[in-house]
Amino acid sequence: MYVSLLVAPSAAVAQRPQPITPAEDLLITGNDPGKYGGRVVVALRAEPKTLNPVTALDQPSREVMGRMMADLLHINALSQQAEPALAKSWKVSKDGLRYTLTLRRNLRFSDGHAMNADDVLFTFQVLLDEKINSPQRDLLTIGGKPISVQKVDDATVLFELASPYAAAERLFDSMEILPRHLLQDAYHAGTLARAWNLTTPPSQIAGMGPFRLKEYVPGQKLTLERNPYYWKMDRSRQRLPYLDELVFLFVSSEDAQVLRFEAGEADMIQRLSADNYSALQKDAVSRHFRLFDLGPSLDYNFLLFNLNSAIPKEAADIVRHQEWFRNVNFRQAVSEAVDRAAIVRLVFHGRGTALWSSVTPANKLWLDASLPHAPRSIEHAKQLLRKSGFSWNAEGALLDKSGAPVEFSILTSASNAQRSQMATLIQDDLKQLGMKVQAVPLEFKSMLDRVFQTHNYDTAIMALGGGDVDPNSQINVWMSNGGSHLWNLGETKPATDWEAQIDTLMNQQLTTLDYKRRKQLYDRVQEIAAQQLPFINLASPNVLVGARERIGNFQPAILDHYTLWNVEQLYIK
Amino acid sequence: MRFLLGRLMRSGFLLVGVSLLSFLLLQLAPGDFFDEMKLDPQISPQTIAGLRTQFGLDRSLPVRYGLWLQSAARGDFGYSFAYNSPVAPLLKTRVRNTALLAGVSTLIAWLLALVIGVWSAMRAGHWDDRLCTGVMSISLALPDVLVALALLLVATRTGVFPVGGMVSTDFADLTLWQKARDIGAHMMLPVLALVFGLVPTLVRHVRSSVAEALSAPWVRAARAHGIAPGRLLLRHVLPVAANPLISLFGVSLATLLSVSLLIEIIMSWPGLGPFFLEAIMARDVYVVIGTVLLSTVFLVAGNLIADGLLFAADPRIRRS
Repeated sequence: MYVSLLVAPSAAVAQRPQPITPAEDLLITGNDPGKYGGRVVVALRAEPKTLNPVTALDQPSREVMGRMMADLLHINALSQQAEPALAKSWKVSKDGLRYTLTLRRNLRFSDGHAMNADDVLFTFQVLLDEKINSPQRDLLTIGGKPISVQKVDDATVLFELASPYAAAERLFDSMEILPRHLLQDAYHAGTLARAWNLTTPPSQIAGMGPFRLKEYVPGQKLTLERNPYYWKMDRSRQRLPYLDELVFLFVSSEDAQVLRFEAGEADMIQRLSADNYSALQKDAVSRHFRLFDLGPSLDYNFLLFNLNSAIPKEAADIVRHQEWFRNVNFRQAVSEAVDRAAIVRLVFHGRGTALWSSVTPANKLWLDASLPHAPRSIEHAKQLLRKSGFSWNAEGALLDKSGAPVEFSILTSASNAQRSQMATLIQDDLKQLGMKVQAVPLEFKSMLDRVFQTHNYDTAIMALGGGDVDPNSQINVWMSNGGSHLWNLGETKPATDWEAQIDTLMNQQLTTLDYKRRKQLYDRVQEIAAQQLPFINLASPNVLVGARERIGNFQPAILDHYTLWNVEQLYIK
Repeated sequence: MRFLLGRLMRSGFLLVGVSLLSFLLLQLAPGDFFDEMKLDPQISPQTIAGLRTQFGLDRSLPVRYGLWLQSAARGDFGYSFAYNSPVAPLLKTRVRNTALLAGVSTLIAWLLALVIGVWSAMRAGHWDDRLCTGVMSISLALPDVLVALALLLVATRTGVFPVGGMVSTDFADLTLWQKARDIGAHMMLPVLALVFGLVPTLVRHVRSSVAEALSAPWVRAARAHGIAPGRLLLRHVLPVAANPLISLFGVSLATLLSVSLLIEIIMSWPGLGPFFLEAIMARDVYVVIGTVLLSTVFLVAGNLIADGLLFAADPRIRRS
C-alpha cells in the first residue's frame, strides 16, 4: 500500500460548498459565523468496522457515520431535547399514536442526488426488516409491534405506533436516512448487510451528514471531506460545514492518543481519564490547547450483586452467598460502608461525582433530586447487619446466622484500571465490617461471560451509561425481563414484589405522555432502587475533553458525541 | 529437490495443525463477539441471537471448522464479524506494513550484527571486545517494551520524531521524495526499537561462530602461508562461519515478527499487531485464526529460506 500511496496523485483542491438556492429549505444555525477551510484531526480508539449505519455495532463506526449521516429529528447534545433536523417539524396526535413529520424540501444527498419521502420510507423498511437484524429495530418496536410508516406526499411522512410511547420523537434520533438510489439494489439482492464496508469506493456512499467519505487507509486513518450540499447554513447565509476535511486517526490506546494530541498530530481528544487530564494540564498553555471538565457524565459505575436464580451446579458457594446478597439489610450495610468520596478522590482525582442513583447529576431532566444520600456510617451498617442475625467473632470477622464467615469476591475488568481500583477500595471499606472480600480482575469478555451466561460470580463492578437521558433508554435495565436486568437475568416474572412494582411503574411511564407525570413515576423507580439497592451506585466519571485553541465554535457537551456533535459549526480561527 | 518438497509437505501439515489448535483454543476462551452488545440496554437479546445465527456462531465446532476450511480453500480465510467482510483482504493491507517494518529491521539488524560481530571476534580478548560484549549483554537484558517506551518518551519530549502511525495527515499533498522521507521518519522509532532488541543476540552468535572459525588450525596455517587477513576473512573464514548463522536467520525472521507485533501496538504502527490484539479482545475468531496462520507462514517461510540457503551453501547437505 505504501507503494500505491507513493505514486498516488496529490490531493485535489477542497470541494467548495454549493451556492444556496432559494428553493432549498435550509436550517439556520445560531452559531457565530466562521470561515471556510482547514482540517481537524481527531483520534479514534479503534478503526471503524463498517460505514453501514444499518449493521454498525461498534462505537468508532458510529462516531464516523454520525458525521456522514443525518436523522429526521435530532437530540441536541447541549439542551438534551429533540429538535428538527431533516424533518422541519412534527405533529403528534392527541392519543400519541400518530406522528406526522414534514420534511425539508429540495435537499440533496452528499452525491447531489435529491432526497425525499421515498428515501425515508426505504430507510425504515430496511431498519424494520427482521432479516437484517439491525439493532435499531428494537428501538422501533413499540408494544411488541414495529412502527408503521406511510408516505403522505413527497415531503410528509406519517408514523403510526401500536401503543402510546412517551417521547417517541427521541426515537428518530440516530435513525440515519439512507439514499434509496444507492442501496435499494443491494437490499433487494439480500446483500445490504455487506454493503458500504470499508472497501466500498467513496462515490458509492452518500449521506445527509456534513461530511462525506474521501479516503480510507487501513489501520491508519479515514478522511472525510465537506458535503457541498449540506442542509444547514449560518445566519450570514454561509452553507455549513466550514471545515474542508475531518480526519479520523486510528490510535488504539488512550495513552497513545494523549501523545498524539500533545504532539499536535491530533486536534481534539475526548474520553480522557483523570490521570491523563492532569498530565496534560501543565502543557496546555505552551502547546496551545484547552482542556474542559464538563462535570458528571451519564455513565454510572456500580457494584452488582448476583441475585440470579440459575446458578451453575459447580458453584455451590455462590448459592450460599446469595442468602446474604438477597437480604436487603446486607446490601444496605455494604452501601453505607462504601466510601464514595474516597473513590472520587483516589480513582478520579476529584474529577468524578459520587452517586446514590443510577441517574447521574448530568441528567438534569430526570434525576430525583430529593433522593436521600445516606452518609457513610460503619456503625449504622453494623447495626443493620446485627438486625439480620449477623455477628462477629473474636477476631472481628463477620459471621452469618449459621456461623460461617462472610467471604466473597468482586469481579472487575482487568483492562479497566479505574474499576480495579474501586474494587480495592471497596475491599478495604468492607473489611471494616469484618467481611473478607477478594478483588478478581478478569479479561473483559471472560467477565461478561460470567455475568451474562454462566452467572458464576458473587459480585461485580461494572458501568452502564446512556446514549440518551430519557428513562426509556434504561428500560431494559429496570424491567425484570429486560436484557440488561443484570442482577437477575432471564426472569419470566418478577422475582420480588419491588421488581414487580418497578415493572409496573416503567410500563406506566412508557405510555404516559405528560413529562411531569412521567417524572413522578420515574422518581418512584429511583426511590425503590435506592431502598432495595440491586446496584450499589458508586461514582460517575466527569466528561473530560480537550481541543486546540485555534478551533472556533468548540462547545463540548455531556451527551455523546462530546466534541464533534456540532462539527458542522467548527472552524479554524 | 526432494529435500525441499519434503519440507513443503511438512509445512502444509503444520498449518492445518495450527489452524485446528487455534480453533479449539479459541473455543475454550469464554465469551463471544456479540457479548459486548449485551451491555447496551437498547439492544434486545433476540437481535443478538439473530446475529449469532446469521454469523453461524450457533453451529457446532466441527461444522464451523469445515465451513472455515471451505472458505480458506476459496482464499477468504473466514469472515470477520466486526468488519462484516472476508478475512484475507483485511490481512493483506496490514501484512504489507508489518512486512515493511520487519523487513527493514531485519536487514539493518543483520548488517549491524555482522559488522560488530566480526570485528569483535577479531579483537577477541582485547578491552574493546570486552566492552562491546558487556554493552551487548546489558541491552540483551533490557525488555523491548521498555526500549520502545523510552524512545516514545524521547520523541514526545524533543518533538524530533513523529509519535506514532506510519504517515502524516497531509501525506497525500506531499511530493514523492517527501512521501518517502515521511514514511522513513515514522519508521525510525519502531525500527530502532526492533533493531535494538535483535542486534545483541545476533552479535553474540556472529562473534562466537567467527571466533570459532578463526581459532581453527587451518586458519593459522593459512596465515602462516601469508594470505592477506582481509582475503582470509572474506574468502575462507566467513563461509565456514556462515552455517549456524543461516539457520539463525530463519529463526530471527520469526522472532522478529512476534516482537514486531508488540512494537506495532506500542508505536501505533498500522500493521498486524494492533489488528490482531483488537481481534483477540473482541473474539473476532476468524481474524485471530487468520493472523496466527499468517505468522506461521512467516515462520515456515523463514525456515524454508534458511534451509534453501544452507542447501546452496553447504555441499555436505546437498550430498545427504
